[in-house]
Amino acid sequence: MVTDCAAEELAIALTGVSKSYGRRSAVRNLTLEILRGEIFAFLGPNGAGKTTTIKMIVGLLKPNAGTVEVCGHSVGSNGVAAKAQIAYVPDQPFLYEKLTGREFLYFVAEMYGLSVQRRDEVLQELIRRLDIGEYIDHMTESYSHGMKQKVVLAAALLHEPKVLVVDEPMVGLDPRTIRAAKKLFVELARRGGTVFMSTHILEIAEAVADRIGIINEGELISIGTLAQLRARAQREHSLEEIFLGLTESLNV
Amino acid sequence: MSDTPPSTGRPQRLGLLCRVKARAICNHAAQALNDAPLRISASAILIAVIWLGIYAMFYTVFHQLRRTPLEATVAIPLVFNFFFAAMLVLLTFSNAIIAYAALFQKNESAYLLTSPLIPLDLVTLKYLESLLISSWALVLLGIPLMLSLAGQVESQSFYWLFLAFFLAFIPIPGAVGMLGAWAVARYFPRRVLSTVVGVAAVLIALLAVWGIRSMQFKDAGIEVWLRSFQDRMGFVQSALLPNAWVGAGIDYALNGHFHEAAMYLCVTLANALFLSWLAVMFVAKNFDTAFDRASSERGAGFRVACPASGGIAGLAFFYLPPPLRLIAAKDLRTFLRDPLQWSQLVILFGLLVLYLSNMPTLRTQLAGQGWFLLIPFLNLCAISLILATFTCRFVFPLVSLEGRKLWLIALLPVPPGRILVAKFAFAMTVTLLVALTAMAFAVVALELGLVWTVIHLAVTIAICFGLCGFAVGIGARLPMFGESNAARIANGIGGTTNLLASVALVGAVLTAVGVATWRSRFLPDDVLPEPRALVICCCAVTTSIACGLAALERGAQHLNGIEV
Repeated sequence: MVTDCAAEELAIALTGVSKSYGRRSAVRNLTLEILRGEIFAFLGPNGAGKTTTIKMIVGLLKPNAGTVEVCGHSVGSNGVAAKAQIAYVPDQPFLYEKLTGREFLYFVAEMYGLSVQRRDEVLQELIRRLDIGEYIDHMTESYSHGMKQKVVLAAALLHEPKVLVVDEPMVGLDPRTIRAAKKLFVELARRGGTVFMSTHILEIAEAVADRIGIINEGELISIGTLAQLRARAQREHSLEEIFLGLTESLNV
Repeated sequence: MSDTPPSTGRPQRLGLLCRVKARAICNHAAQALNDAPLRISASAILIAVIWLGIYAMFYTVFHQLRRTPLEATVAIPLVFNFFFAAMLVLLTFSNAIIAYAALFQKNESAYLLTSPLIPLDLVTLKYLESLLISSWALVLLGIPLMLSLAGQVESQSFYWLFLAFFLAFIPIPGAVGMLGAWAVARYFPRRVLSTVVGVAAVLIALLAVWGIRSMQFKDAGIEVWLRSFQDRMGFVQSALLPNAWVGAGIDYALNGHFHEAAMYLCVTLANALFLSWLAVMFVAKNFDTAFDRASSERGAGFRVACPASGGIAGLAFFYLPPPLRLIAAKDLRTFLRDPLQWSQLVILFGLLVLYLSNMPTLRTQLAGQGWFLLIPFLNLCAISLILATFTCRFVFPLVSLEGRKLWLIALLPVPPGRILVAKFAFAMTVTLLVALTAMAFAVVALELGLVWTVIHLAVTIAICFGLCGFAVGIGARLPMFGESNAARIANGIGGTTNLLASVALVGAVLTAVGVATWRSRFLPDDVLPEPRALVICCCAVTTSIACGLAALERGAQHLNGIEV
């Protein structure tokens, strides 16, 4: 077992993980290892099992079989320690509606034990880079989806997590913010952090991911770098063509 | 990257969560005072009026009861026992529903569970929240009841003692409700609705059996009925029930036995603290499994609608032209498939029918004393107020809820204002069905004569018409198209306006009927009332219908002028 994320290479380890919703199997015998300092893109059609996998990583769902570890801490048996290393950006951003964006970010900082000085330094930087200064002191109930997504992203990066798990992070963001977010993910990975990203926007996966995993009907059907996926497809396909080829051929 | 391990100290996190909630409440209050001072003032005045009315009513009742020692000895403890027994059941249900939604359905729980927060903090927070949310109405309505009783006693210390009894009692149903919510999430995650409906059905069946047994005393005298009622309420006085501790404690306090009252207060408080501790610790320890079951089973399959609801919806509005029939049928389907809506209506009118079935026929006692017509009049008041509650909460938001689909409405081959006809038809169908059923039950139970039966049914129909017209018309005139939460729409400025208008309409109509009833009090109820009383009733009916039509007309005009 890995004991310390800083000492070992594995950031996320799923071993033989399965999850069912009643009789419907959502994820089947999934084994996946994500390394420290890696940006991993998790692709798949709707209902393939991406969000279920993410929810098991962040501790919202318990696998029916298998184990999930984050930075060496079992999410099932040592959830608080595992979650202290994780930041999660869900597809539907949650904010307290009657707080301002700043109040919400202060709350998150205190939740993760940041000192006031450190909080202010990081927050100032995030406000500038995500361009949220104009409305950060307004109540979050008045935010658009994109504004909420940006504040949630800031909250996730505020405590400088070792593992960032993002589910469809770019939905609702404008092109400038998408570029800023991509840059933040790359910087986090360069500092030794890990980004686990589920997305339908294949260009983003192609542009920033070190490795790509494709899941279909609960099973991991392919994993590797873009070059490895191309080599397996035996042609110079784009990621879109590889993705469609893999998922359609299996569905047929 | 920071290598400082985050703090995991429990007290800090719970304190932090409480501080955030307090901050959100302060922001909300400041926003409400800033944005809608009129609404806040109107609500405060309305609450004060209701509060003073309840205080005056209970003060008079207790004053009268205490003048006759026998009734005071029998009735006052019974009143409190019954009151707290009812509160025990209602608060247990209320806490269970609120705790289930807060712990297993809200995005907030999912968000907090992904943070380094131990489940005990989350469960404690949600327990405190559900206690506050579920019990504020009890405290608001119960305090005048307690103060009116305390007002009968000279010592000032009674006020604090009575308040302490309230606060000590509330956590008991709260803890039981939270355990119930956990059990439903853990063992019946796919059948939440059927579990709640099943438990409610068993309770209603027990109450119905109890009610039928009481019918045998319907022709007995008031004293016999009262004693039989006390006998039938014997189970409420079991020494193991919290309502019995509170009832006994209040009775002792009222009679000057402070030590015994303090002992019952300590018993209540000790049980409340123990149950709270037990519920929070147990739910926290087993929370992740229940949360996983609730989340997993919700995604287990597609929900299948009852095919009958579609058929009923199609048939119920056969008289409307096709586009409007579709809208009305859609609203009826939504109503039938939303337990929040129909269950509230069923519970409110179910309790009313139960009350009516337990009411002894006072005809023989009160005929000739000028009080007999008071009973059906009070029934009419109860039905009207329940109707006003339903239309303000569920009918008023109907137009606003179309906001995000307004483009679809605009594409229909009818002017947008015409959709109000469909909304009105839906509202009238639902409200008339339940109101006329309850009123028919009341007139049969009271063996009311034909003349007053016709008058009461006509007034019920007119009030339904007026209230539905107000709710739909004002809903279209003051809509909140950007809001998708029906409760928030009902609480907005339009909802408050509709509430005030509905209360005014019901007040005016009932005052008129009350005057007519008063003028006819010495006449047999199968004899035509004097012409002036009849004219007053006709005016009330006409006014109610005219108000409803006027509101619909204004709403339709406004909707026709809206640009999608």
